[in-house]
Amino acid sequence: MEMVESKERVTALLGWSLQAIEAIDKLGRPYVVVGPPEFTAFAEANGIPFVPWQFDQPIERADELYETLKEKSTKLAVPIYEETVEWAGTLNAKFRNDPRIFKKSLLLRDKGLMKRRAQLAGIRVGIFEEAYSKDDIYWFFKRVNETLLKIDGETNDPIHVKPFDKAGTVGHRMIRDPRDVDKIDDSEFPLLMESHLEGQEFSCEAFIHNGKAMFLNITEYVELGHSNFIPASPSLEKWRPQITVEIEKLVAAFEIDYGIIHPEFFLAPDGTLYFGEVAARVPGGHIFELMEKAYGFSPFQAQVLCSDPDTTQEQLEAFFPVEVVSAQGIAGSLMVYPNVKKVNKLDIPEELKNHPYFDKHDMFIPITSKVAERVGFGNHYGTIFFFGKDSDVMRTLMKKYEDYNFYL
Amino acid sequence: MSTTTKKKRMNKHTSALKGKFEAAIDKLEQAKPFAKSLYQTEVFQLAIELASSDEGLIVLYQNAHRFDQAGVFHGGLWEDPTKMQPSFVGGSLRLKEGVNSILELLSEMRMLSIAKGDYLHSDFSQGEASAFLNEVLALNLDLLFPLQLEEGNTLLDDHMVRAHRLFQYLGKELSFKAIAEKIVQEIDRLTVQRPINTERILNMLDMSGQLVEVGIDEKTAAELLKFTRAAYAPTPLSKDAANQREYRLRLENAYDDEIEAEAKIFAGAMKDTGLVSSYHVVLLRFLNRKNSHIIPISIGLSETGIACFNAHKKLIHDIIQVSIYPETRQAIYGLALMLDRGILAQESLAHSLSTLFDLPIHAQVRQALARPEMEHGGISMNGLLIAGVVSVLGQPLGVGQGHNPTCQSARAISLWAQHGIDRLMDYITRAARDHSISMAFEGEVIHSSLLIDGIASKMDPDLDPVSTVLVPHLDKIYHEMMKRTLLRGEDGHKWVNPEFYGEWIPRGFLNAIDQMTLQVTNYPAFVKLFYATHHPDYNEGFKLVYPNPVGIFITNVHGELLGLHAVSIQRINKDKNGEFRIYFYNPNNDSGQNWGQGIKASVSGFGELEGESSLPFQDFVSRMYAFHYNPFEQGDTYMVEDILVEEVQALAKDSWGRNYVWA
Repeated sequence: MEMVESKERVTALLGWSLQAIEAIDKLGRPYVVVGPPEFTAFAEANGIPFVPWQFDQPIERADELYETLKEKSTKLAVPIYEETVEWAGTLNAKFRNDPRIFKKSLLLRDKGLMKRRAQLAGIRVGIFEEAYSKDDIYWFFKRVNETLLKIDGETNDPIHVKPFDKAGTVGHRMIRDPRDVDKIDDSEFPLLMESHLEGQEFSCEAFIHNGKAMFLNITEYVELGHSNFIPASPSLEKWRPQITVEIEKLVAAFEIDYGIIHPEFFLAPDGTLYFGEVAARVPGGHIFELMEKAYGFSPFQAQVLCSDPDTTQEQLEAFFPVEVVSAQGIAGSLMVYPNVKKVNKLDIPEELKNHPYFDKHDMFIPITSKVAERVGFGNHYGTIFFFGKDSDVMRTLMKKYEDYNFYL
Repeated sequence: MSTTTKKKRMNKHTSALKGKFEAAIDKLEQAKPFAKSLYQTEVFQLAIELASSDEGLIVLYQNAHRFDQAGVFHGGLWEDPTKMQPSFVGGSLRLKEGVNSILELLSEMRMLSIAKGDYLHSDFSQGEASAFLNEVLALNLDLLFPLQLEEGNTLLDDHMVRAHRLFQYLGKELSFKAIAEKIVQEIDRLTVQRPINTERILNMLDMSGQLVEVGIDEKTAAELLKFTRAAYAPTPLSKDAANQREYRLRLENAYDDEIEAEAKIFAGAMKDTGLVSSYHVVLLRFLNRKNSHIIPISIGLSETGIACFNAHKKLIHDIIQVSIYPETRQAIYGLALMLDRGILAQESLAHSLSTLFDLPIHAQVRQALARPEMEHGGISMNGLLIAGVVSVLGQPLGVGQGHNPTCQSARAISLWAQHGIDRLMDYITRAARDHSISMAFEGEVIHSSLLIDGIASKMDPDLDPVSTVLVPHLDKIYHEMMKRTLLRGEDGHKWVNPEFYGEWIPRGFLNAIDQMTLQVTNYPAFVKLFYATHHPDYNEGFKLVYPNPVGIFITNVHGELLGLHAVSIQRINKDKNGEFRIYFYNPNNDSGQNWGQGIKASVSGFGELEGESSLPFQDFVSRMYAFHYNPFEQGDTYMVEDILVEEVQALAKDSWGRNYVWA
């Protein structure tokens, strides 16, 4: 009797993602997708339970969405995109009658708050401040370099600026020179400024259930925003115990009970870990695809299962493989940006296509062959996927093609 | 030794791709319909890789019967093979951007699979698939024959190399015989409409020359030969002449009866096909100097034509001398028809034609008219313009819009060439000299030179000389007139057409679409009024004197709306079966189209004149949305039977009508 009832309770996916829909559909769980109204016709035609919703409106209207979802026996909301994290927070707060869930989700949506929270919890971070104008950035840049005791004529240490609430590398800029500040549009403010951290950058994807990390993936970045692979190389994986400790601190500091977190860290040469930022949604950079390729499980399904307090420990233990050792190989992705104004031709070298690690690519000559201007690190146009056994070969291959002009 | 290892490695590469491709198809097949798009990209990428080798194409073919089942075309324009249209294939294959070109290639593979019986499709037969592919090949002969790389010496893009490879493959798999038949049909269909611009026909002929060498059946070869001869060398003396000079020397040495025989054969071939040989030019220029009495025979003049010729010998002599060059050879056909029409009896025309010889031509017009091959031949700009005028006056229904959205302007030139020759000559003269023309609209004069925008943003240069000179101005003026009626709440054509085309257009006007609501409004009344004003059984016997510019919905073979188009009703007559037909001029020069619901415009076989197409009265009405009429020349609408209206309405509702709300 109990079982039947809980089975009928529905999971809401917040944000339209075919991969996520396919994954939950395959789980055989009842679900409903909440997404932009333009998908209504498609959803209807394909029998996908759908609630049309615009997420770029005041969160106060969540009551309306809550009522709609409640009528459909929804008990759980899973965010797919950065912009839906606080919507999931407020909905889950209502579903579970725990207002703090919403507050906690807001922490993850404001990079300024996030950094402070981490700092309060004793997690090591770089220095940071909030900027409301270009003057703030000039000042911070100057002061950081003064702190580093730079002498006139020496190269300045860069700083980073990024919006409070955008996913991944969207709007992320590196400031190496006061002139870089001029390129920022006034509309981009406020921004979070951070000192540059030396060291190896990587991300983690931790699937949390009941406050405990059930599966911890480490994604090694070859070049931020360009290339990464899973699982990480032995030289990074050897720090897994220390990384696990940091993840536990993070989970405790942000009081995360269910779902996925996707934090970024810097590993200093001496083994010190610096916290960059953390998100609670599907990571970018094709990380979920790579995880699925390497381990054979669907991270989307993992996210749904971990988001649901009713999932049992046994279910999860049966679902997740053991980290690193059970990987079938290393899966990597190289994201490609055109270096030309207008794309006329594709050039995928035979040597690359014939490399045993080459898996596939998804590049076509874009329909609007004029390339959109890239803001900050911006969106990539195509991706090349690799799969192989040796992380050194993988890294060398990615480095080799990092600056190759695939689009001519 | 080294070649064998290389070959082996290539096979290994293909077989690796084959494995990946088939795995990708499997994954796609397993995906639910909503998730198909996640797996299509990989199929397309691997298909691109496979399509870059001949053995890869075989792999694609081997899997083609699975494409539909797996969902390769799911959710796109290629989903339903019964909706494919041969005329779209070439365009898609030539598209560099995006996935269309590879999708199109896979779609042809699916067709081939149906045609060869490897894939049984419930709604598309083997025969239909073969016919489809034959037509595709006939329409894209340039892709069928091996690349002449040395010609342009430019490297082709990958997608074009792929398209060539596909066509070689299809050519091998299909019978050349069937393709050749299709080509002959296509050439026949185009020539019977007698376009002024014959480039497309000549291109097809050029291409098909290679087909004859491959071996096709005799009847088709003979048909092809008829066209090829007419276009190149139809006579005994020209047949093996090496060039125009040699032919001219042969003429010098020929006996009179030989020359007369040449003249007759040229005239016959031209009348038969509408195509003109460049040796015909040599003969005509020769006769023009030495034996002008044979000229009427050499261009096959009728009695009227001969009378006109005799009355204007000097003018004709000069026209030939100045404007008939190998590059303008098609104008010989125009000249013959112009003389046969007897219009030179109008003194004003003879006068305006003669002014064109010395007309100073505006620099920008020169630029627009200039073609490298013309300069090479040494023809003057005035000669080129006169050749163009002669063509238009001889073949008013041969005027075409080319690839421009300027059906209105082409229709105007055609109408004036029939009924408003003075007006046309006046516009041509002014446009050529001043690069500007003017027309009055509701009392205000509109100067084309002061206008910036027309409907066409850029002119496709593939036009006859008169259209090249006039259309840019007409297009802008028409556009401006329409703009001035924008806020009137009714279709602007009501006011624009009579002023733009001239007094030949009656003032009464009806549009089936209410311009305020954009709904189909009062359709039965629309149909009844057209019957009462145009159908001889209901209109009290008033004859259509001037062409009536009407608006039609163009629909595809499935009756789906493609867009709006302008044609002119030329006449309404009973055909040989006693059925009333509407004979009309279609400025797109490609009138034999299938409009769905069994409505297929014909260009021959029902008493069509050169350049006319025709449809049974009712079928035509079912595609029309606007027409002009004379309220003083009409019968009573209540005499039109409801059943007629219902039949037309059923056709309309189930075709273009699906895109509209019916009030």
